[in-house]
Amino acid sequence: MSNETTADFNRWEELQVGRLLFGLSPNEQAEYDELALKMPTDKTNLFDSVVASIDVAWSGRPEPLPEHLQRSIQIQAEQVLASKPSNLAGVPSHEGKSVIGFRNYAPWLVAAASLALSVFIWNSNRPQENVTPSVAQLRAELITSTRDVVQADWSAGTTPIAGATGDVIWSSERQQGFMRFQGLPVNQPTIEQYQLWIFDKHQSDKTPVDGGVFDVRSNGEVIVPINEKLRIQEAVMFAVTIEKPGGVVVSSRDRLPLLAQVK
Amino acid sequence: MQVPLLPRIAKGDSTAIDECIDRYGGLVWSLARRLSPTVADAEDAVQEIFVDVWKNAERFREEVAGEASFVAMLARRRLIDRLRKFRRELDTQAIDEAALEYAAPPQAQPVELAEDTARAAACLDRLRGDERQVLELSIYHGLSQTRISERTGLPLGTVKTHARRGLSQLRDCMQASSLLRPKVVAAI
Repeated sequence: MSNETTADFNRWEELQVGRLLFGLSPNEQAEYDELALKMPTDKTNLFDSVVASIDVAWSGRPEPLPEHLQRSIQIQAEQVLASKPSNLAGVPSHEGKSVIGFRNYAPWLVAAASLALSVFIWNSNRPQENVTPSVAQLRAELITSTRDVVQADWSAGTTPIAGATGDVIWSSERQQGFMRFQGLPVNQPTIEQYQLWIFDKHQSDKTPVDGGVFDVRSNGEVIVPINEKLRIQEAVMFAVTIEKPGGVVVSSRDRLPLLAQVK
Repeated sequence: MQVPLLPRIAKGDSTAIDECIDRYGGLVWSLARRLSPTVADAEDAVQEIFVDVWKNAERFREEVAGEASFVAMLARRRLIDRLRKFRRELDTQAIDEAALEYAAPPQAQPVELAEDTARAAACLDRLRGDERQVLELSIYHGLSQTRISERTGLPLGTVKTHARRGLSQLRDCMQASSLLRPKVVAAI
């Protein structure tokens, strides 16, 4: 369709800019949707690539993703990809398929088209669900789907923090785990960060495995995915230390507020 | 030039995931930090953006857009949507915009950038100062039109005009150099 007027097109440009730079109000979004129907396809995204190129140019040398976030994204990616039909196995073979005339399959085609339209309308009208599983959901999924999950409650370490409680779960089979805290103080990441250490039955107590650096950003319950740096064969104890930003390779264990012993 | 990863992800190749996070994690994190009100909000946004990336991987067309630009487009759509909800609250709060400092965007060396991105950087330098300022405050710092008006002293209508004219000039400049691929996002 290309029956847009100059006024329509000017307004369309304004809305495109607004959508990319500032976001649209509900009224503007309705206007946008209406005008979109009139616009030819080459006018549908006038400035997206321009703004994207600027975004990339202005990103400079970006700092890397925090490790716990990276781990969380990896887990979600595996779930999303697992839910998609895989194309790796190749396309289905059509050899040997029986041939039927249009007269035979036309009713099926109409029924399929009606069904597709119904699904489309239903999808268009229903509220958008947040498909990103929360860390709490991922934790629950690990507990329910894995047999070898061990769980240990946090107890006071050598430099306890009053009121800090919670637990840790770990699956050696999945090499995945989560820490849960209540009452662990919010830290200033530019000053200090928490770091998890995992004691493996098959390794010396002097060299626990780095379980990742993490921050506590709220006073309520906090769930943190474990980001182990090495494979854990059999976790027997977990310890949380407070370290300089970015963590350390070997902890002095001067500040060790929490311990969790697997029983 | 880097080999694109999204076609592999579109085919369900999970071995490309880590590479993709390594390659674009910093870009997405940088955008999210700039355009999110808090670090916690940025973390949520980054996770949503990567889910969008995995789900839309099959829509990436190497011949019409750079992969980094494709990821940045998906990121911006998600971030602006989230930011708009936050702005409703922020715009009702009294903030002395003139007292705030906004750092200029980093100046990347052209040799470090992909071709279309380098051209965008070059075309930015040709913009009028006030148009570039409006684009910096909106694109880089994520300010609303109202805040930009307060910050610059420009009437709200002028802010809108500068934003639109600035982007139009950038698009024309990039197209004139035949480095912008005009059908870039028709499929997204």
